[in-house]
Amino acid sequence: MKRKFSEIGLIFGFYILQVTLFNYIRIGGIAPNLLIILPVFFGLLKGKKEGMFVGIFSGFIYDIFFSGLLGFTMLIYTVIGYICGMFFNQYEESNFIIPLFLTAAGTFSYGFLSFVVQFLLHNRIIADFFIIRIIMPEVVYTVIVALIIYKPIRLLNNILDKKKSKAVNIDEEIKK
Amino acid sequence: MKNKLSKFFTPKRILLAVVFFCVVLTATSFFTDKLITPLRNVFSYIVVPIQNGINSIGSGLTDDDNKKKTLEELQTQNKELESQVASLKAENDALKSDADELSDLRNFYGMESQLSSYTKVGARVIGTTSTNWNQSFTIDQGSKKGIKVDMNVITDKGLVGIVTEVYDSYSVVTTIVADNSNVAAMDERTKDQCIVEGDITLMDSGIIKLSRIKSNAGIKSGDKIVTSNISSKYLPGLLVGYVKDITSDDSGLSKSGNLVPAADFDHLTDVVVITTTKDQLTNG
Repeated sequence: MKRKFSEIGLIFGFYILQVTLFNYIRIGGIAPNLLIILPVFFGLLKGKKEGMFVGIFSGFIYDIFFSGLLGFTMLIYTVIGYICGMFFNQYEESNFIIPLFLTAAGTFSYGFLSFVVQFLLHNRIIADFFIIRIIMPEVVYTVIVALIIYKPIRLLNNILDKKKSKAVNIDEEIKK
Repeated sequence: MKNKLSKFFTPKRILLAVVFFCVVLTATSFFTDKLITPLRNVFSYIVVPIQNGINSIGSGLTDDDNKKKTLEELQTQNKELESQVASLKAENDALKSDADELSDLRNFYGMESQLSSYTKVGARVIGTTSTNWNQSFTIDQGSKKGIKVDMNVITDKGLVGIVTEVYDSYSVVTTIVADNSNVAAMDERTKDQCIVEGDITLMDSGIIKLSRIKSNAGIKSGDKIVTSNISSKYLPGLLVGYVKDITSDDSGLSKSGNLVPAADFDHLTDVVVITTTKDQLTNG
């Protein structure tokens, strides 16, 4: 439970950061997308269920506060969390190429799908402008931020795991 | 029992359930607002104060007016200001009687009321709901302060946008440079009608599009463009911007061009919401 609460806390914290500080560090009008990094990382570090849980909540927070259809971002982030969870235990944790690649892929997919829903379906076919001027810079910026926070998130994950394993050990002791 | 439950809920099944739930949610929110609004209201009670707090810290740090002044300096400044106020008061009285006469004449000729007679509410921009590709912002006034959807938002420089969502303690304003924004406008000088369209592909250039201009219109570069009196959502006579250039369309049947908006969208801090809506003007 502590784990779930700290994850929710992290999501809220990231949202506040996104909407205040990260607005001021826009480069060319583009800000990084913090809330997509969490499902990617937690999916990789803990598996499909955790990835989906974090995806549901960060998507939910994103939808509530950034105007749009409620449920759209939730859906995509959950799927991203699940897909990243499929890579769980498939690689060495200290390898950060995979998380960065998945962050890039996830950010690109989310951006492209948003473009499809918001523009393409209204007959605004400006795909090349969109990808070059908006999606790619967001991917790059988000990956840079992901690079910076990967290690702290891993540390946090280890701390939370230790707490969990401590509790498990006590249970086993009592059973004996 | 717990093990059986967790064995039933395999990740794949959970994913399918969540996907199904999200699709239903998305479809519902597409057709009605009633679901999101109470949720956003609840969350805004937690988040808006935090946002306000962080924003005021930010602006406090960058505040240029935090200069320390001695008592003497303040006293001399005060005296100067007092005499300024006195002369401004005299001017104001003279202008007031002019304004009364003007309003009488307008009523006599059946003309519409002017900007200064609209009721206005000042609001502060507290954040953006912009993702990287929609251009809107949140202001710190909501339905509690009487803000309603479709109220026009301006700064002292010009038209900024229109209120599109209202919650208890905050509202969302969509700007006129947003991709889906269309404002019915006209040339102040020639009274030719046109449409001002936001366009995301022009976001770097700071200009927006003018379209649907009749081919015999006399609109020229440098002309003032104001909101038209036939707009269904915008009050008439609000300054939108200045014409940059006009070209004939390929068909030769119409013209289009570019407009430099008068408001400064990169530095929006305080805005004014006009609480009279166009609807009220035409039907009230």
